[in-house]
Amino acid sequence: MSDKYLIETKDLCKYYNGGAIKALDGVTAGIKKGEVVVIIGPSGSGKSTFLRSLNLLEMPTAGTITLDDVEITAPKVNINLHRQKMGMVFQHFNLFPHMTILKNMTIAPMKLLKKSKAEAEKTAMELLKRVGLEDRAEAYPSQLSGGQKQRVAIVRALCMNPDVMLFDEPTSALDPEMVGEVLAVMKQLAEEGMTMVVVTHEMGFAKEVADRVVFMDSGTIVEEGTPEEIFENPKNERTQSFLRKVL
Amino acid sequence: MEALTAWLSDLKADFILNFVAEERWKFITTGLKNTLVITFASLILGVLLGVIVAIVRSSYDKTHHEMRKGAKKSLFAVLNGICKIYLTVIRGTPVVVQLMIMYYIIFATSRNSLMVAILAFGINSGAYVAEIVRSGIMSIDEGQFEAGRSLGFDYKRTMLYVIIPQAFKNVLPALANEFIVLLKETSVAGYVTIRDLTMGGNIIRAATYSPFMPLIAVAVIYLVMVMFFTWLVGMLERGLRKSER
Repeated sequence: MSDKYLIETKDLCKYYNGGAIKALDGVTAGIKKGEVVVIIGPSGSGKSTFLRSLNLLEMPTAGTITLDDVEITAPKVNINLHRQKMGMVFQHFNLFPHMTILKNMTIAPMKLLKKSKAEAEKTAMELLKRVGLEDRAEAYPSQLSGGQKQRVAIVRALCMNPDVMLFDEPTSALDPEMVGEVLAVMKQLAEEGMTMVVVTHEMGFAKEVADRVVFMDSGTIVEEGTPEEIFENPKNERTQSFLRKVL
Repeated sequence: MEALTAWLSDLKADFILNFVAEERWKFITTGLKNTLVITFASLILGVLLGVIVAIVRSSYDKTHHEMRKGAKKSLFAVLNGICKIYLTVIRGTPVVVQLMIMYYIIFATSRNSLMVAILAFGINSGAYVAEIVRSGIMSIDEGQFEAGRSLGFDYKRTMLYVIIPQAFKNVLPALANEFIVLLKETSVAGYVTIRDLTMGGNIIRAATYSPFMPLIAVAVIYLVMVMFFTWLVGMLERGLRKSER
């Protein structure tokens, strides 16, 4: 982990209905290269909005986001190029149902990175092997279980060789017995040094894997620190009350 | 038994009178040809128009509140407005009236009635296709869109690779229905002197004073065509669905 920030946000705000609803209310944060940041907080706290604004799926109302020293919130920035460096995994997988698993994984590298079919498929198969799904390459998403779909969604994002991976509640839509297999893949990824920002309700994962835990409430960062600091010794009253409820 | 023989020979005479004598069957065959030409040409025009209008409308609905203010946004709003007016006017007036306006007012100097009919039916069908395709695009989960964008595809390519293929499959039955409606709607082409299938049957009826044969024949031909195309679309649908199971 280096000391330089890979992603930096300054006073990030997201208002709805002309400011009546403040989903994000001035979030200043930084994510270092190789760091695993887990964001926790009650529902409606803005943690998903924050994550989704990092690759501008949510357009912030105010504030700036800098990725690798480029301010991506500036007008005329080609966000499509920067999104290629930010892999994203969604709660509901969002695999493309009309494509095979292999096609799901190769379409972006082929069309955007101009990789050859053979090259893209080689990378995809290697990644599928890593998550134990190489025999499902020709299957369609509807033929996979939830856990398998999410593992495919993770490796689909990895096919673009991103600098950072964003996870938006990746296990919240899964049956309990499938949560483990997805978390295992994420843990392996973290151990390999991938920069990760994870919004999750899996406190066990946060404790075990996170370098830093961020607690958000009402659109702001209330408290952040190492897992020990947050889980063993939370300072803020809101953090304490939240952790009492979920642990 | 004798009654049956008499009836059969009457039927035979009727058939000869309506179709064989003076080569009257040619009214049916040229009529059928014209009906098919109008239907297919206006189908192509209608789908082209419809897809363009649907993409403008749904793109506007999806993105206009995220766009930065400027000339591009204003232009987009104007374009969207034009599409809305088109949909309202076309869907709010009968196709026969549109056809006659095209023939007697807009293209009053043209005598190419077939071309005018193709334009009129194509523009009419486009409005219905537009709403069908738009509903298909809007029915695709927002997450599909976000997944495409998060991989780095721009709006256009996300539409092309992710949204449109799924939307097309969803709206295929509705599109097929629109095609069948169009095929039958062209039967009013006679209003602007086109000898389509319906008009062909009507010309025979007027000449022979024997309505049964020509009108039933026309009805059967429409029915057979509709059944054939319904079967064809069913095959296509099953083929598309297979790719997901």
